[in-house]
Amino acid sequence: MKNIKFLSLLLGSVTLLTLAGCDPNITTSNHNTSSNGQTTIVDPSEDDPVFAKFTGQLEEGVTVKVVENDTAIKMGYLDELIAAFNEEYKEYGITAVDANQGEFADLPNTGPYGYGPDVVYQANDVLMGWVDDKHITPIPTHLIEAYQSEVIPDTAHDAYKSVVNNVNYTFGVPVNIQSPLLYYRKDLLPSDWQETWDDNNNDIPDMVENIVDLYEFSKQYHAKDDTKYGFEFSLNDFYFTSGYLFSYGGYLFGNNNRDDTDIGLHKGNAKYGVQILRQFAAEMSAACRDDSAKLAISGAMASGKYFASVTTPDVRSVIVDALVDTYKSEQGLSQDEAITKAEENVVGVPFPDLPSNGDLINPSDDYIECKQMGGINGYAMSSYTKCPNASLAFINFATSYKMVKLREQIIQIAPCRSDVAEESTQLSQQLFERTTNGSIVLMPSIKAINQVWTPAGSFMADVAADPSRGGNAKYDTLDKIQAALEQLSNDIYDAIHLLN
Amino acid sequence: MKRFFRRLGKNIVDLWTNFINFFKVANLNVKASMCLMGAGQFMYRQIGRGILYLGIEILGILFFSIYGFQWLVGLITLGTVEADPWTGLEGDNSVIFMLLGLMSLVLLILFIALYILNVRDVYNTSKLVLRGEKPKTFKQDLKDLLDKKFYKTVLFLPILGTIIFSLLPIVFMILIAFTNYGEPYIPPVLVDWIGLENFIKVFSIGDIGPTFFKILGWNILWAIATTLLNYVLGLLLAILLNKKIVKGKFFWRLFPILAYAIPGFITLTAFKFMFSQGGPINFYIEQAGGSALPFLTKDGTWWARLIGLLINAWLTVPSVMLLATGILSNINNDLYEAAKIDGAGAFRQFKDITLPFVVFATTPTLITSFIGNFNNFGVFYFLRSDVTSNGYFVSNDTDLLINWLYRLSIDNKYYSIGAAISLIIFIITSAISLIIYIKSPAYKKEDTFR
Amino acid sequence: MRSFSNSKTMNRKVKKVLVAIAIYCILIVICGVFFFPCLWLILSSFSSTGSLYDIEGFFPSSFSFDAFIKLFTDTSQYNYPMWLLNTLIIAICNCILSTLLIIGTAYAISYFQFKARKSLMKGALVLSMFPSFMGMTVIYILMTQFNFVNNIWGLILIYSCTAPLGYLVQKGFFDTIPQSIYEAAKIDGATNARIFTTITLPLAKPIIVYTALTSFAWPWSDFILPKLLLINKDNWTVAVGLMQLQQNEFARFAAGSVFIAIPIVILYFFLVKYMVNGMTSGAVKG
Repeated sequence: MKNIKFLSLLLGSVTLLTLAGCDPNITTSNHNTSSNGQTTIVDPSEDDPVFAKFTGQLEEGVTVKVVENDTAIKMGYLDELIAAFNEEYKEYGITAVDANQGEFADLPNTGPYGYGPDVVYQANDVLMGWVDDKHITPIPTHLIEAYQSEVIPDTAHDAYKSVVNNVNYTFGVPVNIQSPLLYYRKDLLPSDWQETWDDNNNDIPDMVENIVDLYEFSKQYHAKDDTKYGFEFSLNDFYFTSGYLFSYGGYLFGNNNRDDTDIGLHKGNAKYGVQILRQFAAEMSAACRDDSAKLAISGAMASGKYFASVTTPDVRSVIVDALVDTYKSEQGLSQDEAITKAEENVVGVPFPDLPSNGDLINPSDDYIECKQMGGINGYAMSSYTKCPNASLAFINFATSYKMVKLREQIIQIAPCRSDVAEESTQLSQQLFERTTNGSIVLMPSIKAINQVWTPAGSFMADVAADPSRGGNAKYDTLDKIQAALEQLSNDIYDAIHLLN
Repeated sequence: MKRFFRRLGKNIVDLWTNFINFFKVANLNVKASMCLMGAGQFMYRQIGRGILYLGIEILGILFFSIYGFQWLVGLITLGTVEADPWTGLEGDNSVIFMLLGLMSLVLLILFIALYILNVRDVYNTSKLVLRGEKPKTFKQDLKDLLDKKFYKTVLFLPILGTIIFSLLPIVFMILIAFTNYGEPYIPPVLVDWIGLENFIKVFSIGDIGPTFFKILGWNILWAIATTLLNYVLGLLLAILLNKKIVKGKFFWRLFPILAYAIPGFITLTAFKFMFSQGGPINFYIEQAGGSALPFLTKDGTWWARLIGLLINAWLTVPSVMLLATGILSNINNDLYEAAKIDGAGAFRQFKDITLPFVVFATTPTLITSFIGNFNNFGVFYFLRSDVTSNGYFVSNDTDLLINWLYRLSIDNKYYSIGAAISLIIFIITSAISLIIYIKSPAYKKEDTFR
Repeated sequence: MRSFSNSKTMNRKVKKVLVAIAIYCILIVICGVFFFPCLWLILSSFSSTGSLYDIEGFFPSSFSFDAFIKLFTDTSQYNYPMWLLNTLIIAICNCILSTLLIIGTAYAISYFQFKARKSLMKGALVLSMFPSFMGMTVIYILMTQFNFVNNIWGLILIYSCTAPLGYLVQKGFFDTIPQSIYEAAKIDGATNARIFTTITLPLAKPIIVYTALTSFAWPWSDFILPKLLLINKDNWTVAVGLMQLQQNEFARFAAGSVFIAIPIVILYFFLVKYMVNGMTSGAVKG
C-alpha cells in the first residue's frame, strides 16, 4: 500500500514536471537548413560572425592536438608533419602533437567537455556528420591557401560544404581521395595475356578492365585449382559494393546526396548492379558473405588463393608485406628482391567496366564505367578549440603543396590537390580525374549516412549468399531484386525518420 | 479510482492531524528544532549534534540559494539559451541541466529527510529526558557508530556510491524517457519534455511495436533455455567430476576453469571467427565436400541462436560447475550409505538425494543467472552485430532486448526511445524478479541455517 | 551358488571398468571442448603471418614469436605495456576497494536487523536489474563535471561504487556464520566493530578471496565503460586496446589476450578451493 502511494506521488510529480516543461514552440525545429523558393543560399562573407575568432593573431605557446589517420602514424608521416610544423612555428611557441585518441576520436563526446582534439583528419562522411550539432567549426576559406590557389576540385570542396541558416559554409580542407580499389597479382596473369587477354591492345589486361572478362578468367582460374578464386571480396561492405548500384542509376540520397528523405538505392536500374554481384558471387567462396574475405585478403593474395580482390589502399602495404614473406620462403628471394618484386606485382586499379545490360552470363557488347564510392579525407577544426588561429595555421600547413606531396610519397594515397596530382602516379591521376568527373561518388556529407552501412551491408551479404540457396533463391530474378531494394530503401528511410 | 483518491485524501488528513497532535505534545526544545535545525539539541546541551545539524542547515540554505534552486528551475526548463560553439556562445546544455537538477532534487529530498530526522532526534531525546535519563553525549554517539550503529558506518559509503552511480543514472534515464533527447535533439540543441510521446511512439509507429514483441518473445525463450542448459550441464559436470572413480580431480577441473578465467570478449571474438563464413569450421565442411553453412549470416537464424546458446554454455558452465561442486561436497555422506543399504541404485540415489539437495541449494542463484541471461549483452553483440533482419526495426532476429536497446540508443542515438523501452523492460523484469525473490525461501527464511 | 555369485561380482567388476572407461571418455571429450578454443587462441598468437584469416583450417602453418615481440616493442601505436600497467593498477585498486565495500555491505545486511534492511535488499535487487550501459551517458557527464574523465581513478571510483550491489552471494555466506560465535565476544564487552575485525573477517576468508578475485578479474574484461571514460590511448585498459586491434592483427590480439589470461588463470587455479567454499555457502543462502 505504501508503495502505491509513493508511486502515485512520483507519477503525479512527473506529470506536473512534464506539464510545466511543455514549451508551446516544441515543434519549431532549430535546424533551418531547408531552402524554399524565397530564401537564397549565399556563401559566407569574410566578416561572418562565426569567423570572428579567426583574428589572425596566433595564440602563443599553445599546443595543437591533432587526430590523424592510423596509417599516417604507422608509416611515420605524422612525425614528419609535426616536426616540420613545429620547426616553422617555433618562434610563436606553437607545438602540434598527436592527440593520441585513435583515428576514430569521438569529438561529439569529448569536445564539449574539453577533452577533444583541436584538429581532426578524417573522411568527409565522419567529419560532416558532426556539422548539425556544431562540433566542427566553419573554415574561413579566404584564409586557406589550398582554396585560394584553386587547386581543390569543386566536387571535393562540395563534400565539405553544408548549408546552415542559408549560408553555405565550408567545414574542412581536403587532402586525399580515398576509394576502394581492385587489387590484383600481376605475376599471376597468364604468361600470354598480351595475346589472349588484351583484345583492345591497350596493354592493360582485359580482366581488370571489364568485369565480363574478369568473370571468364575467374572461372578458368578456379577450374585450374578449385581452392583458388579469380576474384573475391567481402560483399557485405557497402563501401565496396555500392558503386555497382550507382553505376546503373541508383543513389543513396537525393539532391546530390543531401536529401535524406529521398533514399534511391532502388532507383534507375540499380538492380542490374545487384544482379552482377549475385552472379559473380557464385564464382566466389563463402568468404565473400561476411568479413572473412576482407580480413583474409593479405594471406589469400600472397598465396594466390585470390587473383584479385577489393579493398582500401591502406591495406595494400599489408598485402605487400605478406607477399614479401611468400617470395622469400617459396622462391628464396632476398629481402630487397622480394620487396621490389612484391611492390611491382600488387597492382591497384579502379573497378572494371560493367556490361550495360547488367548481365554477366549474357553480357551486352557495350560497357559502362563502374562507379565507386569514395571519400575525401581532410582536416576539420573542432568548435571547442581554445586556439582557433594556431589550429588554422596547422591546417594551412598540413594542406600545403609540400605536405600533401610528402604524404603521398610516404603513404601512397591519392592527393586531392590538382598541383600534386599532376606530378603523381598514374593511379593517383586516375582517381583525381574520376573524382572530378563524378565516377567516384563521394560519401554523403550528412549524418544520415550512419544509418545506411549496417542494413545495406547486411542486404548485400544476403545477396552474396543467394547463389548457394539453389531452388530457394531470394534474388534470382530482376523483379525480386527490385522488390528487395525497395524494401531496403524503405528500411533505411524508417531508421532515419521514423523516430524523429 | 475514486476510492483511491478518497483514501489518498484520508491519508493526507490523517497526516495532518497526526502532525497537529505531535505539535501539541512536543515541548519547547522540539519546536525550537522545528524552526532551526540543531536548536533543540543545543538546548539539551548536545553540542556535537547541534553543530552538525546547524551546519547542515547553513550549508543547505547556502547551497540552495546559490545553486540548488537554479538547478531545480533548470530541471523544469531544460535550458532556454541554445549554445553556439561556433561563435563561442555558452548556452544551456539540457543534459547537464537535467543532471544538475536531478542532483539538486536528490539533495533537497535528503535535506528534508535530515530536517525530519533532526526533529525526531530532539523528540526522542525529550522522551528520554522525561523518563529521567540523560541526553546522549557526542562521545556516546561516536561510540555507538562503532557498536550498535556499526552498520551505519559500514553502509554509509556503499549506499552513497550506489545512489550516485546506480540510482541517479536510473532516475535520469527514467526522466529521459519523457523527453525528446536523441536525434536530432542532442545538445547544443535544446531538449524538451514531451510527456508520454515516446511510449506512444513505441507501440504505434511502424515496425517498432512488432519488433519489441518479437524480440521479447525470443528474449524470454533465450533466458529460459540458456539458464536451464547451463544449469543442467554444470550440474552434470560437477557430478561427473565428483565420482569416486575419477582420479586427478584437480587436473580435470583445470580445463573448465581455463574457460572461466579468460575474459569473455576474447573468447567471443575467437568464436565469431570460428563460425564465420571463411572460418575454420566452414573450411573443414568444404574440405569434406559440403557447402558452407550459414552460421551467423542473415539466413542463419536458428544456427546463430543455437551457437549463441552453446557459446554461452561454454562461458558459464564452469562457474555453475564450481558452485555445484561445493554444494555436492556438503551433502551428508550418511544419506548415501543409508540409501545403499536400502538397495537404491545410482540413478535412484541421484534422483532422491543429490538432485533435491542441489536444486534446493541453488534456487537463488538460478534467479540471478536468469536475470543475467535475460540481459546478456555480449554474446550476440559479438556474434551478429553486423546483421539486420527484415521486419525488425534496426535489429536482427537473434538480438536480445538489450542488444536492440544498444542499437537504438548508442548506434542510432535515439536515447529517449531507448530509455522508454528500457523503462518498460525494467518494470517487467524487476516486478517478476521481486515477486520471485520475496517468495523465495532464501528471503523468507533467512535464518533457517543459523 | 558360489559360482553364480562369483560371476555376479565379475559382472560387477566388468561393469565398473566399463563405467570408468565411459566416464573418462566423456571427461576427455568435455575437457577437449573447453581446452580446444584456448589452445587455438594460444597457437594463433604464435602465427607468423599475423592474421588468423590467412590460416586454412584451425592452425597456422608456421610459428614465430613476432606477435609477442611486437606487442612489447612496437608501442608507438598500440602501447600494450602501458595498457597492461593501467589495467593492473585499476585491477588492484578495484580489488581492494570493492572487496572492502562488498564485504562490509554483506556483513551489515546479514548481521544487523535494522528497519530499512528489507527495503534496502529489495532496492538493491531492482537496481541491479538495470542494463548498465543505459546509464553510461549520465555517468560520463557526471564524471566530466568532476573532471574525472580520461584518468583511471574515475574508472576505479565507478567500479568500486557500483560493486556493493552484487553483495548477495557474500551476504549468503555471512548468513551461515552462527550467531552463537558472536555471543561469547559480546559478553566480553567487545564492540561490533571489534567483533567484525577480529572474528567475522578471519572466518570469512574464503568469501573474501572469492570477492577479491572476481573484482580483480573484472577490469580485464570490461571494455564498454573504459572506452567511454578513457579518451587518450595511453590511459586505455588492455580490453579497450585489444578491441581496437583485433581486425587486421589477430595474432597480436591473440598474443595480448593470452598474456593477460595467463595471470588470471593462474590466480584462479591457486584459489579455486576458496572459491568453491565461498561460492557454495554464499549460494545456499543467496
